Amino acid sequence: MKTKAENYASELIERRWLSNKSFEITLTKPKSFEYLPGQWIRLIHGPVERDYSLVSAPTDPNLALCIRNIEGGILSPGLSNAPVGSRFNFSGPHGYFTFRPSIRPAVFVATGTGLAPFVSMARSGVTGFILLHGVNSAENHYYASVFKSTAKQYVPCISETTKLSGEHFRGRVTDYLRKNLAPGLYDFYLCGRRDMIRDVTLLVDEKFSGSFIFTEIFY
Amino acid sequence: MKIYTGTGDRGKTSLFSGQRVSKVDDRIESYGDMDELNSTIGALVASLGPEDSEPVEELQQIQSDLFAIGALLATTPDSPAMANITGIGQEHIEFLEKSIDRMSEALPELKGFILPGGHPAAAWAHVARTVCRRTERRIVGFLDASFQMQAPDAYQRALIYINRLSDYLFVVARYCNHLFDAPEKLWEK
Repeated sequence: MKTKAENYASELIERRWLSNKSFEITLTKPKSFEYLPGQWIRLIHGPVERDYSLVSAPTDPNLALCIRNIEGGILSPGLSNAPVGSRFNFSGPHGYFTFRPSIRPAVFVATGTGLAPFVSMARSGVTGFILLHGVNSAENHYYASVFKSTAKQYVPCISETTKLSGEHFRGRVTDYLRKNLAPGLYDFYLCGRRDMIRDVTLLVDEKFSGSFIFTEIFY
Repeated sequence: MKIYTGTGDRGKTSLFSGQRVSKVDDRIESYGDMDELNSTIGALVASLGPEDSEPVEELQQIQSDLFAIGALLATTPDSPAMANITGIGQEHIEFLEKSIDRMSEALPELKGFILPGGHPAAAWAHVARTVCRRTERRIVGFLDASFQMQAPDAYQRALIYINRLSDYLFVVARYCNHLFDAPEKLWEK
């Protein structure tokens, strides 16, 4: 399915806090709006525009976005306290960071809210992947329940130094890949900060040469 | 917003279809030349005034088409990513042919080889034409090496488009000289 970006109007239905800094908002889905898991929309509120990946599945009745509340940010603080019923315009769907089945195992790597496209993919029936989610504190491993039932292996990675439960890997996602991922050919899907994407890409060139890489940078 | 990622610092880059390849891979050379061609057409557009909206609109449509060909060249044909590629259709080729025919009707008969140049816009069109021919040679080299003359239809249509685009740019060069009353200088042996 090729989807062409158009402009739509939508309304805030619900906001659910995932951690003390991140939340999920649910918006009404315009009837004619179609998208693929992994695509994003450009949310427009007055003169302000920001891009957010959808965490909902295309078959869900509504749209959902995962948003990190950035202090001093131009849109997220407003979204964090906008009343239910607030109206937004958006354009979309945008982007090509969609799942492409292949004979190679899929390795999803995310930092922070870069997890969003993988949530949409998992909610849309993609299973059997390895997922690494790098965050700075354990409370930011939101959506773990989605991945526990869909991922072949779910690896929450935490860079902080406080005491952790046995489920977590202490260190960066690149540390995990270097130490624990078996040599082989993979399809790597990378979504998150630029430095993570650079580091993982260079590691793949070095240690998993011949693998495929798909990226989406969250600035 | 920072535009650099650093993922190409060691001489490799990613295709749209996911493979990591050397920056001197035939595909990269092909769409690198395509990028240069697109930029050169941008210089041609910039040399035209806003009152010359007809060629400007056409040239900007062509710039969009070149992005589509660049995306095609960055995608291996067996990849699922191909589903996202719009590529070039017969209508894009016919668009060039009709424009060539329309401009040619307004031009004096060609009586020999003409020296590239004249009005600055015409000179840019000639530069774009030669970059276009080099781009075409690169694509042919890439397709021959990769598909042994049996390239998928999408690539073959792109090649036809680029071949036609060279002719189009030659006519645009002449048309610009005609538009701005700049004389064409014939080659004297």
